Amino acid sequence: MTERDTALWWARIRSGGPQRVSAGGPTPAGLRRLVEADAQAVWLIPDLPDSAGPAVLTEYGVPGTSMLDSRGTLRVLAACLRCCWPDPAADLWPGRPAPTGDIGQVLRRLVPARNAVSRQQLLAAGLRRLAASGWILLEGTDTMRMGPRVASFGSLELSTLRELWRLIPDTAPDRPETS
Amino acid sequence: MNRPNPIFEEVLGRLPDRQRELVEAAYALLEHGNGPVHRQLLPALRDATSRERLEELLRRTGRTLVEVDPLHVTSGFDDAVRIELADSGWQPLPLADRAVLVLVLVHSVAVPRSEERLAPDSWDSQFPTTQLDITRHSKVPPGEARAALSRLTACGLLRTVRGGDQDGGYVPGPRLSRLTPAAREQLQDQLILAAAPDHPLAAAIRERRHSRLGGQR
Repeated sequence: MTERDTALWWARIRSGGPQRVSAGGPTPAGLRRLVEADAQAVWLIPDLPDSAGPAVLTEYGVPGTSMLDSRGTLRVLAACLRCCWPDPAADLWPGRPAPTGDIGQVLRRLVPARNAVSRQQLLAAGLRRLAASGWILLEGTDTMRMGPRVASFGSLELSTLRELWRLIPDTAPDRPETS
Repeated sequence: MNRPNPIFEEVLGRLPDRQRELVEAAYALLEHGNGPVHRQLLPALRDATSRERLEELLRRTGRTLVEVDPLHVTSGFDDAVRIELADSGWQPLPLADRAVLVLVLVHSVAVPRSEERLAPDSWDSQFPTTQLDITRHSKVPPGEARAALSRLTACGLLRTVRGGDQDGGYVPGPRLSRLTPAAREQLQDQLILAAAPDHPLAAAIRERRHSRLGGQR
């Protein structure tokens, strides 16, 4: 693959998020291949060194892209991580699919002060925002799994996430009978 | 977790550690920062070798340096890459989002610019477009327009401003500062063609494009 083609792939990912391609194709330089569970397709994401990644922004006190209702959306992401990452010792990608009902159950324990309507709104809006930016993938109307972007977490961020994972409540104690 | 990135290795491999660290930090600040970065935070720009390596790193990843003003710089899509992607039909934004973005650019940039309330090459407008401006005379259904506004704001193409003495609304976001001079010129032309297709300026743009195309053949 030429330098020009590689630059085009980087630009496609920069503008359109992680790209899903067939498993047989070549890998442009500097990108990582994330194989789907069925091995039929791969996602391409940038493989940046930590020293050139978003973590540098905090070192220099430069603001990054901010997210609308970031506190709420991050709680939804936390609930997704709890449901889709059964074993935090393993890799986060690809994880396992989870019903959005389970995400709602965990979210209920993460934001106990919200009423059912406001929580449902938070869940729907949060899932939509996270899906739009590639952090999660929605499958049908009531199932989701982690998106390819989660594989871009560095080792330092992953160890923080593992610590957090243990603090996030599980769905188990009051799992609804219908699912 | 992180394996060496071949592009970074090739471009920065021969730099001393400290210099490499500064170039990588500059790449991170330019690429991941929300807006333009002050030169003070980018010592890599002061040294010719580092600057050349930084530009090469950006070029290899489809990007280029964009000087916003004498003190601030950012990064944007390389013109050649942008043109090739656009020519191949690459379009990550849904139709409704593009329509709404154009409406905001017309209300917040094209109109004030034509009244000389906004500098000729500035996309940083303080004239908000209200939600009503977008839904009133447009063909975008209100529900879709609202969803498009929230997506465009999330990705930094728009920014919300709170109502003070006037109504609050939407203005062009920090992403617009990443446009290269050539991209800004093209967007300006497109805006004229969209907002005033019968104006003599629009005829001049069409004429210029036609002759450029003719020149290429």
